Amino acid sequence: MQGLTPQQSTIQARLPFVAIFLILMAAYLVINLANFQFFPRSVRQELEKIGSSVTSTTLRLPAERGLIFDRDGEPLAFNIIQYRLGVSPALVADDEQLMKLMAPILDIDEFELFRKINSENVWEFVAGPISAEQGQAIAALDELSLGLEEIPKRFYPQGTLAAHVIGIVLDDGLVGTLGVEGAFNDTLSGRVLDLSISNVPFDLPEDRPAEQRGNDLVLTLDRDVQFWVESELKAAVEEYKAYRGTVIVMDPRDGDVLALANYPTMDPNRFLEIEDPSLLENAAVQDAYEPGSIMQVLTVAGALDTGAITPYWTYNDIGLIEVGGQEIYNRQFQSHGTSDAATVLVRSMNAGVATIALEMGAEGFYSMLRAFGFGQPTGVGLFAEEPGDVKIPGDTNWNESTLGYNSFGQDLKVTSMQLITAFSALANDGIMRQPRIVRQVIGEDGVEEARPTTVRRVVSSETAAIVQDWMKRVVREGAPGAFMRGYAVAGKPGTAWISTAVGQEYGEHSTIVTFVGALPASEPQAVILVKLDRPQQYYGHAVAPHVFKRIADRLVILLEIPDDEVRGRLEAADAVTKAGES
Amino acid sequence: MSQTWFQHTFSRKRFRTRNQATALAILGVAVLLILGSLYLSQVASFAITNREIEDLISRRDQLKRQNEQLIGEIASFRTVPRLYARAIEIGFRPATNSDINYLLIEGYNPQRANAQLEARAGQQLEAAAPVYEETFSGWLERQFTLLRDQFESFGS
Repeated sequence: MQGLTPQQSTIQARLPFVAIFLILMAAYLVINLANFQFFPRSVRQELEKIGSSVTSTTLRLPAERGLIFDRDGEPLAFNIIQYRLGVSPALVADDEQLMKLMAPILDIDEFELFRKINSENVWEFVAGPISAEQGQAIAALDELSLGLEEIPKRFYPQGTLAAHVIGIVLDDGLVGTLGVEGAFNDTLSGRVLDLSISNVPFDLPEDRPAEQRGNDLVLTLDRDVQFWVESELKAAVEEYKAYRGTVIVMDPRDGDVLALANYPTMDPNRFLEIEDPSLLENAAVQDAYEPGSIMQVLTVAGALDTGAITPYWTYNDIGLIEVGGQEIYNRQFQSHGTSDAATVLVRSMNAGVATIALEMGAEGFYSMLRAFGFGQPTGVGLFAEEPGDVKIPGDTNWNESTLGYNSFGQDLKVTSMQLITAFSALANDGIMRQPRIVRQVIGEDGVEEARPTTVRRVVSSETAAIVQDWMKRVVREGAPGAFMRGYAVAGKPGTAWISTAVGQEYGEHSTIVTFVGALPASEPQAVILVKLDRPQQYYGHAVAPHVFKRIADRLVILLEIPDDEVRGRLEAADAVTKAGES
Repeated sequence: MSQTWFQHTFSRKRFRTRNQATALAILGVAVLLILGSLYLSQVASFAITNREIEDLISRRDQLKRQNEQLIGEIASFRTVPRLYARAIEIGFRPATNSDINYLLIEGYNPQRANAQLEARAGQQLEAAAPVYEETFSGWLERQFTLLRDQFESFGS
């Protein structure tokens, strides 16, 4: 150190600091370099986004909703494409030429179009929704400055046919509501996808992914039967001056709903124009009402099945009975003397059926109602199905008189779908099938068949046969309007008074009439429910059976149901063939 | 003489060396040019094919939409009220029970046959688009195989 000049000493003394500074700087740079290599996820994603925005564009693919067919493959709901048209004014080469080409296609004012083409905006909306033909004609112009955006639209080619069964779709074809569109929205709806399309010409073009499409549905409806039912229902509502009406046709063997109609109805293609929201209601599953004396059949069937009465049971009818302090009268205050259970049904005797309900007891009666499916939705597969309203012992608003009224269908509320399901169980040898509106779901993986399922046995085979026999007598003697030449019909009409806060309504338009009938009675292939709200006539047996007959007359032809005589011959021939084979 | 020969050889050698280097360079450039043009042609063919596929996809989508549009239109023409009105127009009337005669056919079950839908069968059977997976090495390999096959066919 001694040989060092003061200057050298100073440098030597400062050198370690400089070295440390340089080392620290180098370390800082190395750390930063490392940090630069390993970005946080958010930064990396942001950079990737910027990078991919240069090399790719994102295309929004609209959801492709599944289609709906009737049981024979006739389309009931379809998708069509409409377009929204826009223009980038900056990219327009010859505005006059473009205007002249576009105006006749779009059928809009040339001046207005010219103004839009020369707008100051980067992007100007021109027209929409425009039809597929117009969109294709615009696309054929191959004009760089024009942009077409697809708008999916649901189209119902059958118009008002089965409108309440099919339902409607809102939000540019995305959300189904009402009918199967609502109940099976998850199955039907496709998925909106953002597809990243590469701008690099060497990358393979992306195809529309298959899973984007919703599944198709095949309904149990028969379009021809549906049309006939709707026509007859409309005629009946107008002829009998009813407020509205409902008809359901069900195959009791598998629970298939062949037709379901409400009138007045709506056009799902123009549901936005509907002013009366009640038109959107599917009364068959959403309108719970007091069914009236039609319920007598189920009370009698339950009593027979539980052993509360026998087929030979009789009682002395004096025209009224007191239940829980309330007097229950027969129709028109008639008394019929000694009567059996079949006569109770034929003459629709409220006092008689209340007597039977008392013999059953409350527990037996309400077990029977539960077994027939009242108080819970049937699960048919339609949007917003109502469970109805059945008061049971223990409820604050239940008393003994409720049992009496319930026995003939008053003071409880059921839907038409629940009623026809219960009567179909009787027609199907006492076995209740799960009612269903969807028969098949067709997806990318193939066809998923909705097999008919059994809910439960409601009554024994013997009980079902006896009650069916009595219902044949009801048609012969109590509802001749439903009589069909060549076919035995088992049915029951019912008239329900409409209760209000101040009591029962009287006079014209003050009842709800219902008729449920099964045909052919010996081997039912169809059960038909006809319900008319507030027809001019007071009693159901004078109105609803006629409507039933008109529908049934056509139904046996459409469903190819031979008359009793022909079926007898066929069965005999089958028996001979089988005997020969064995 | 020997000097002349030496000079000649020396000068020739230098000339040949230059010549060889030039030739090698030219050969290299030529090979690079060939490889480059092969690559460019391959890339161009890729781009063209991709463009064609894109056009085909968009054409297919357009045809599908037109097809659905047509099915919808046909369905609206085939609605029951329209068919019914047309049938009445040309002299038909709804059959009644008395118009219908049932024939007894041995072995025939009178139960209504369940109609089976094949509505979407066409779509399900639609063949999947072939996957485009050609690569440059694959193309070279195929060319080489073709060449080899040609040589082998000459030999035989």
